[in-house]
Amino acid sequence: MWPKASKKRITMNRRQFILSGLALGTTATLGVNGYQLLNSDDTANSELVLAALLPALLYGALPTAPAESDAAISRTIAAVHDSLAFLPLRQQQELQLLFNLLAQRLGRLALSGHWLPLAELSLPQRLTLFARWRDSYLGVLQQAYHGLRELLFAAYYSQPEHWATLNYTAPRFR
Amino acid sequence: MAKQSPQHLDASQFTADQQFSADVVIIGSGAGGGIAAELLAKAGLQVLLLEEGAYYDRDDFVMEERWAYPQLYQEAAGRKTRDQAIGILQGRTVGGSTTVNWTTSIRTPQPTLSYWQTEFGLDFSGDNRLSPYFALAEQRLNIHRWPVPPNANNAKLQQGCERLGWEYTVIDRNVNGCANLGYCGMGCPINAKQSMLVSTIPSALTQGARLISRLSVRQLHWQGNQVQSLTAVPVDRFFHPRAEIQVRIQAKHFIVAAGAIGSPALLLRSKVPDPSGRLGKHTYLHPTVISGAVFNEDINGHAGAPQSIYSDQFVWPSDGQAGYKLEVPPLHPVLMATKLTGQAQAHAALMQQFNQLQVTIALLRDGFHPQSQGGSVSLDAQQQPLLDYPISDYLWQGMRRALLSMAELQFAAGAKAVLPIHHQAQQYQSWAEAKSAIAQLAMRPLLQTVVSAHVMGGCNMAANERLGVVNADGQHYQLQNLSIFDGSVLPTSLGANPQLTIYALVWRNTERLISRLRHGSR
Repeated sequence: MWPKASKKRITMNRRQFILSGLALGTTATLGVNGYQLLNSDDTANSELVLAALLPALLYGALPTAPAESDAAISRTIAAVHDSLAFLPLRQQQELQLLFNLLAQRLGRLALSGHWLPLAELSLPQRLTLFARWRDSYLGVLQQAYHGLRELLFAAYYSQPEHWATLNYTAPRFR
Repeated sequence: MAKQSPQHLDASQFTADQQFSADVVIIGSGAGGGIAAELLAKAGLQVLLLEEGAYYDRDDFVMEERWAYPQLYQEAAGRKTRDQAIGILQGRTVGGSTTVNWTTSIRTPQPTLSYWQTEFGLDFSGDNRLSPYFALAEQRLNIHRWPVPPNANNAKLQQGCERLGWEYTVIDRNVNGCANLGYCGMGCPINAKQSMLVSTIPSALTQGARLISRLSVRQLHWQGNQVQSLTAVPVDRFFHPRAEIQVRIQAKHFIVAAGAIGSPALLLRSKVPDPSGRLGKHTYLHPTVISGAVFNEDINGHAGAPQSIYSDQFVWPSDGQAGYKLEVPPLHPVLMATKLTGQAQAHAALMQQFNQLQVTIALLRDGFHPQSQGGSVSLDAQQQPLLDYPISDYLWQGMRRALLSMAELQFAAGAKAVLPIHHQAQQYQSWAEAKSAIAQLAMRPLLQTVVSAHVMGGCNMAANERLGVVNADGQHYQLQNLSIFDGSVLPTSLGANPQLTIYALVWRNTERLISRLRHGSR
């Protein structure tokens, strides 16, 4: 019993270690305020990251007209933020840390191998980056891939405005 | 929403600390709590029913996942195991999962009961038979064979079975006046589904029971062999426990019915005695894998009774391998989008075939093998439950066999392509192609999508206190005025959808509790 339990503890520490290790590396460069920055629940960071990832993940699903596409992305970002609040605090904190890291230059390098801001990568580059997490040897990056993918697809397809290509409408029974 | 009334209080409206007392307090209003509440209220006992979720009814339900998931499900239907590798659909509302389940009603399979007898000394034969209680629950909840032809999603399961000579069964459903809409998972909009929400709970309230919704029970306070009281807090609008207001409740008897994750979590927070070491252990999920299939014709898996056919062809294999039950799920945009694999154009192209997609699921029967001992519930920094469920090689091999069976079935039913829901799988154009590809898939967490809609175990019953947390009557072995009346008492998974087992077992155990309370021998 004991070795099994202790192994679990190590696994959990490792997972926290990886994320917080990335955070520490970033704060060292950003200075004293960096830590606050990375632990802030300011939605600016998540908006930045979502606005960069969504056009890549949803390429082929988003409307082709730029104005409509922008509106769909804004709607999806709002839906992500609405749904986050219902997750356990534990998961909210992990996701927020991931958003903060991706929004910061050093964290971005550590997670993505790119110096450029996410928004300056081409769509195929963003997709490649994302797929690399799926195939990463780091469990925490695999989880980031699957967690974000599910969160973002759920947010997009939860909106009735995005169902036109599905040939589906939600019924009203009253 | 159901209004504040003498019978119902919404704890989120409390502005100061509260105290309540009752003969019996029931924590959780799902399949277990709902059945117990009605019987106890009928017996003349003062019943107080507590529910963490909200008291929504048909006037509140919206047939959109963006409303239903956050409002009616645990963690917005995004509950996950510790390593994020298994997604769990579990209700959290008045009526519990019965408010959002897909109405499939199946008696406990005889081989499961036999296994419990051999391994846990549980005797449900002779005078202890469950069959009278199955009959009572079936009558109470209008459970009957679904007489309407299956929707296309279920019909493909049936046709595949017919062509391959596999067993299939038409499903019994707990509905009354069902209009075959297909939105059971978002709360029945016409009160046809005979969930606890529309049957036993209103009946219990009419007979004097009281209900407090949006209340999260944090701890049982016990001394010696008695529970003395409990403390609880209201939840906020995101259903997270708030600390500012305390609710204290005293009762003669305590029934924990918070589901197979919530019940062990409450007992762990309360640090109740656990000499068997089994509290929060051996949690079973019917781990489920998924296979999509593209058809030329419309399937429209969102329309019509979501489950009307199942196949037990592979549930009890003779070679000792993990068995699995074949069913289908309802198909709605978020459920589909989150499970389909790929990204960008590939994912978008699949979503455009939303109405032509048929989906089959295989639910593995876990808990019947040394390499299938389930998961364990622990508490996180917020004292909220977290389920760890490692998947053994034995289960991975069962999942691979399940993917093979589903692909074979879907091609037999006329699919033009089959897509096993695995992140390295492709669409396969023939059974031969699918067969060799599935044999090569790496069965690993996250790469292989695994889901669950049935959480069982964690406070298992057994004939003696070395092997279980409660006895066959649901009575806690160490705390005499504590009963556990929900799916957490199941010592293995069932190999069948669990609601009817819970109804019957809790009906039996509530009758026994009433008789004990009447004779004063707690």
